Amino acid sequence: MIHPFKLLLGACLAWTLAAPAGAADLPKVKLFTTGGTIQSRASNRDKMMEYTDGRKVEPQELLDALPELKAIADMSYLEISNVGTPHLHNTEQQLRLAKAINEWLARPEAAGAVVTHGTAMLEETAYYLNLVVKSDKPVVVVGSMHPWSAISRDGPMNLYNAVRVAADPGARGQGVMVLLNDEIDAARDVTKNNTYRVDTFVSRDLGPLGYADSDRIVFYRHSLKRNTAHSEFDVSNLSTLPKVDIVYAYQEADRAPIDALVKAGAKGIVLDDNADGFPAATKAGQAKGVVFVQSDRKGSGRVMLSDKAAAKGLVTADDLNAQKSRILLRLALTKTRDPKEIQRMFNEY
Amino acid sequence: MPSFNTAVSRAALMLCGGLLAAACATSATAPPKEALPPPLPKDAVLPEIPQDIPPAPAPANQAALPHVVLMSMGGTIASRASTRLNITNYGGKEVQRVDPQDWVHDLPELGNIARVTTEDFRPPVDRPSGPETFEDLEMVAKRLNQLAQDPTVDGVVVTHGTNTMTEVAYYMDLVVKTHKPIVFVGSQRPWTGLSGDGPLNLYNAVRVAASKDAWDKGVLHCMNQNINAARDVMKTSAYRVQTFRGPDAGALGFADPDKVVFYREPVRRHTYQSEFAGFDYTSVPAVEVAYGYEEAPGYLIDAMVEHGAKGIVIDGTGAGSATTSQTEAIKRAQAKGVVFVMTTRTRSGRVQDTPRRRESHIVAGDDLQPEKARLLLQLALTKTTDLNEIKRIFDEY
Repeated sequence: MIHPFKLLLGACLAWTLAAPAGAADLPKVKLFTTGGTIQSRASNRDKMMEYTDGRKVEPQELLDALPELKAIADMSYLEISNVGTPHLHNTEQQLRLAKAINEWLARPEAAGAVVTHGTAMLEETAYYLNLVVKSDKPVVVVGSMHPWSAISRDGPMNLYNAVRVAADPGARGQGVMVLLNDEIDAARDVTKNNTYRVDTFVSRDLGPLGYADSDRIVFYRHSLKRNTAHSEFDVSNLSTLPKVDIVYAYQEADRAPIDALVKAGAKGIVLDDNADGFPAATKAGQAKGVVFVQSDRKGSGRVMLSDKAAAKGLVTADDLNAQKSRILLRLALTKTRDPKEIQRMFNEY
Repeated sequence: MPSFNTAVSRAALMLCGGLLAAACATSATAPPKEALPPPLPKDAVLPEIPQDIPPAPAPANQAALPHVVLMSMGGTIASRASTRLNITNYGGKEVQRVDPQDWVHDLPELGNIARVTTEDFRPPVDRPSGPETFEDLEMVAKRLNQLAQDPTVDGVVVTHGTNTMTEVAYYMDLVVKTHKPIVFVGSQRPWTGLSGDGPLNLYNAVRVAASKDAWDKGVLHCMNQNINAARDVMKTSAYRVQTFRGPDAGALGFADPDKVVFYREPVRRHTYQSEFAGFDYTSVPAVEVAYGYEEAPGYLIDAMVEHGAKGIVIDGTGAGSATTSQTEAIKRAQAKGVVFVMTTRTRSGRVQDTPRRRESHIVAGDDLQPEKARLLLQLALTKTTDLNEIKRIFDEY
């Protein structure tokens, strides 16, 4: 737990650091690029969708486009990939990303890390990193809603602000953060809330941790959930993660998807809400050792701890949405298959 | 109920009110004496607590429960009406108020979560809860500081009218030196209202005050199951039950059916970290608020200065702008030593410390609502009139 005063002190320090200095004195921030809209170009400036018809933005181009960064950080980069979100759904790459960030932050001279990412599944990668990064140095995941080629593109300012936060000692101990639209959100709590607007990332009940405003980086909240340096999860020696999938519930939802996933070898299943056919299929899956987590499709509020659910061996997701429950369950299953122990993890992370 | 429509009974009431105020004023070192409430009339409306369903049985070891002080500053939650559908014109002199003991009597469940004792800091019967005087505030602050030091007390719940409760809560957040939870609660519907929110709000507030997890988080606010920080929460709807939220910074946690749970803690300085906490304030400098709008005139600012304002909060437009006329009046006032803080009427977002604002010697109010910036400036002015020092205070609190 970081003391509030420490954060304040950090914020003040960052302010004074904003004064011009030699590159050698500036905090060292590494940019890990994975792609996404922020690294996409379209054939026209007014093209805000289907913008895959232009040349991808290379990491060096991101840095070259923002000479302002030279005043706030000593930048370097490492390219992980240059793909849109749907293609990032790849465990090997997620493991490689975590290892690269951990290697960087373990170096004493490293101040922080910034990760570019497509926005559609940004919240999942951010939460995953929140659980497996072994450092309290700032890690900021950033994206954009408009492509790099668009008029009024949001990418440059988002990237600039993400670096400011990553370079800010006041951002230490806040876990992995997501920065778009001036807002600093906690990776655990933030979700994409709108398909196209620039204010898409919100933490529905809890709000942002703070802001990257022109005058300073400012924090109002500190998360109480375990993360990063305080997390028990370690993927450094793993070459894969357990298969976990999500089944969505709706009126007359069939049990068939659950049965099919069990058959396909899922080690865990997140049930996003409940339907008539689910309990029987859940019981059958549990008999084969599959762990089930109950989340809720409403998008805000908690799934309560209930004796009834616990008696059935069901883990409740608290206020994690289904996609984040899936990430936590994957990591939990690297440690245990005991629903009680996994429930502890869902209470703590 | 007897009619109060005669001059004689009105005078008698005012006398009673005066006596009550006097009783409170002298009780700064001891909780106010609780007189037994007069019995309710036979046709009185009951609160929204189903009488055909029994309360949960008491836990085995009630004596081991935390001790929560339930302090009434009144409010809608302490008001009755003569019909269940009256949820707007409740209270008034003809209708008996809810005494603190009535809550405990109506909600025996409170005894299952805490050993609840009550204290009465309501305004006199002829004055609504809400716009209390500074003396009223200080009386409560003094008592809260005592309770914070009292080893037999584990937490405090304070009821208050919802209109101004977030300012009162923020004032306590700045001046009460406590690690223990102090939880402000109210209701949007009177205690007698159909589907009244008061009983559950009160129950949940006591749960939060009794929770070990609620310690060290500053003064809290709990209604509609949301636990908010006093600094950031504001009333956003005149009548809906989901009225209290932060325009930007969200809830710290929730009083949910399974447990009281926290996800966040505030970063800004509060209670035990506050340099303003633990002192008695007999008075604070006058600070007023001037609203920003097209053609907002400077003479209102001149008038405030003439009436002795030592500080003025301009609730400006947009990112914190004043009109030309206001700007001229600000300069006139600054020449007389008046300190200015700028907030924004947009409510969400921050007023930043920009170079132009520094040149005009106006302190940025950050994201504070003007009524809260006013209280912080009042406390700041008890210590200093140095602008850099006041800027630091607005950055840290």
